[in-house]
Amino acid sequence: MLRVVALRKAILAGAAGALAWEAAIRILGSVGVPVFDLVRQLGTLLFPRGTAVEWWPAGMVAHASVGAAWALFYAYFFWARLRWPPALQGLAFAILPALLAVLIVVPQLQLMHLHQEVVQLHLRLFAAGLDPSTLGSLLLGHAVFGLTVGTIYTHPVGYRADRPPRPQCAPRRSRKRSNGERGRAEGAFMFATGIECSYPTIEQGRWRRDEMATTRHYELWQRDFELAREIGVTYLRYGPPLPLIYAAPGRFDWGLIDEAMAELDAHGPEPIVDLCHFGVPSWLGDFQNAEVARALGEYAAAFAERYPWVRFYAPVNEMYVCARMSALDGIWNEQLRDDGAFISAAFNLASASVGMTDAILGVRPDAVFVNSESSEFYQPCCPDPEIEALAEMENERRFLPLDLVYAHEVSETMLKSIHAEGRAEDYRRFMAREVPRRTILGVDYYEWNEKLIDQQGQKRALGELFGWYVIANQYWQRYQRTMMHTETNRIDASEAPAWLWRQWHNVQLLRRAGVPLVGFTWYSLTDQIDWGTALMDARGAVDPVGLFDLNRDARAVGLAYMHLIDMHRDEPEYRQCEALKRMLV
Amino acid sequence: MGLFLSAHGYDPGPTQRPLLAGAIAGVLATIPAVAILYGFGSLKVEGQILGLPQLVTVAAGWVVMAAAGAAYGRLFGRAANDRRGGWLFGMVSGFALWAAGAVMILPLVSGGKAPAGHASIGVFLSLIAWGAALGAAFPVVHRPLHERLETAARRLGPSTGTSRVRR
Repeated sequence: MLRVVALRKAILAGAAGALAWEAAIRILGSVGVPVFDLVRQLGTLLFPRGTAVEWWPAGMVAHASVGAAWALFYAYFFWARLRWPPALQGLAFAILPALLAVLIVVPQLQLMHLHQEVVQLHLRLFAAGLDPSTLGSLLLGHAVFGLTVGTIYTHPVGYRADRPPRPQCAPRRSRKRSNGERGRAEGAFMFATGIECSYPTIEQGRWRRDEMATTRHYELWQRDFELAREIGVTYLRYGPPLPLIYAAPGRFDWGLIDEAMAELDAHGPEPIVDLCHFGVPSWLGDFQNAEVARALGEYAAAFAERYPWVRFYAPVNEMYVCARMSALDGIWNEQLRDDGAFISAAFNLASASVGMTDAILGVRPDAVFVNSESSEFYQPCCPDPEIEALAEMENERRFLPLDLVYAHEVSETMLKSIHAEGRAEDYRRFMAREVPRRTILGVDYYEWNEKLIDQQGQKRALGELFGWYVIANQYWQRYQRTMMHTETNRIDASEAPAWLWRQWHNVQLLRRAGVPLVGFTWYSLTDQIDWGTALMDARGAVDPVGLFDLNRDARAVGLAYMHLIDMHRDEPEYRQCEALKRMLV
Repeated sequence: MGLFLSAHGYDPGPTQRPLLAGAIAGVLATIPAVAILYGFGSLKVEGQILGLPQLVTVAAGWVVMAAAGAAYGRLFGRAANDRRGGWLFGMVSGFALWAAGAVMILPLVSGGKAPAGHASIGVFLSLIAWGAALGAAFPVVHRPLHERLETAARRLGPSTGTSRVRR
């Protein structure tokens, strides 16, 4: 798939563009300006001697259909390629159909109107129809068309946050075969993937992203689960859409996921349920709201009661990333750029994680919690004390949410910031908490996770400098928790298989070094949308990072992962993963 | 456009057979196209311009359309499997084929002769219909041609993306 396109919106934009063109031409014609009447040209092909009542509707339908086709073309190939205002993008695009109209379509229309079957072409015949009024009308018409299409066709993905849709999940169909029933892999190494499910808001909370909707998971959920089983994964990171389910305090719309959860229960893969993935329902505001923790605790308890068979939970996904993108980088949700706001978000997210964990344990005492976090590392570029201090501060900040959840003391610098923000009492409460035994530290890793602080104090992508082994080891040394590689992928599809194997060899090396490492994840099952721009613009651009593309056709990395799992799952050390078995007892 | 597509991960990958699927879909899509050509009297006119009997014109058309279908599969790669957008990509190809073939090449090889009137409407509509049918048929034709995942997976072992050390 090239792009995720809003088909109806594009068709509407194209038809509206054609109508606007026709209106402009009629207005000019009515005041005596000589114009080229394209609708008449089209309509009289069908009704050569018809009246306006006959040829106008026919011509207009043809004109609008062509307009819709061009608008779809715009949506697939042109939209958001230029960082221009939408109307100007449409105007620039209109140059293409205008050129084709002048050079090919209009001359051919003249031929179509001839009353003969064969014609001998010559330049005079070609140029005859292209008088100044025709050229002027075509250019004006296309300009009006382009401006209209550009203005209407925006935001092809997502929805207005204050008007959440009511998506219907495709009904469950009977299954032909089963490639692996849930529970078969208990105690075995966790080979996992995930359904990308991020749902932050952008544009100051007005627009909601919904990756599950955009990747068509609501329609194709059963196929997605089948593909996961076919590849051989035994665990699936699965994040039901919190903003759509948690409608109001005490009100939950489980209908959206009941069938999908029943399928996972019956046939697997074993879900690791992400309860909060970068966003909250609009009625909860954003992560500056201290009420988020209490509300999400209520949600977690309700979820655990609804699906008591679920044992693995990731209460809040990547707390550091969420706090950073929302409160420090100004991209999602509250869209702030403030150190204090970051600390508030980090505390509220950690409180939510702890609150959800406790709520779930109240329903399911043997639940297992996967606290997945993005592994980050900041390298100072040079022996400049200021740059080194910046890198050190970033390297401390990356740990803050996990430090709170795992009751690990923060550095002196961070402690001062916590005091300055008036969160000392909250901090003490976190430090006094007993962390549940069945807790897995999930460490995600992407090629942009290691960053250089340059001489201007700006962050730059370093690529894979030390690699997952070294960075994950820093997290292990700090927390000494059972670990899992919970996310990785590669934006360049052609390099993805090699990246997969490299990550896997990192996992193997860390296990051999004695770290209790219980799982590995390629994230995600399908391609994702707009992660190239961190979801900040609703463009619909496809990032080819999935095991399968959005048509659900295997990518090379999907096949490589299948091979990897097949090669290792029956090896004794993976068939019986001692660290996981100890945790499940 | 080909470069753009491949740069963004639209390489069809090891399980797919886009050339074969495109050729088959191209041939199938010729059925409605020929019907339109026949209905508008364009087939006779094209044969007349090319100096070929109608049957030979149709036969040559199958071959050209099979090749054009294969080229479509090669160019659009994974995107051609898109059931929602395929018909549009096909129509784009049909339009391009019309603009290049019927509008430019046909007059060039026939000393400046071109279809006109109803015949030229038929030529245009037939190629648009061919493209839409090609794009719509491609995913359906392609699906059963995919190689099994298990078989393809065996080719992508741990040395994928590495190069042999020479010393």
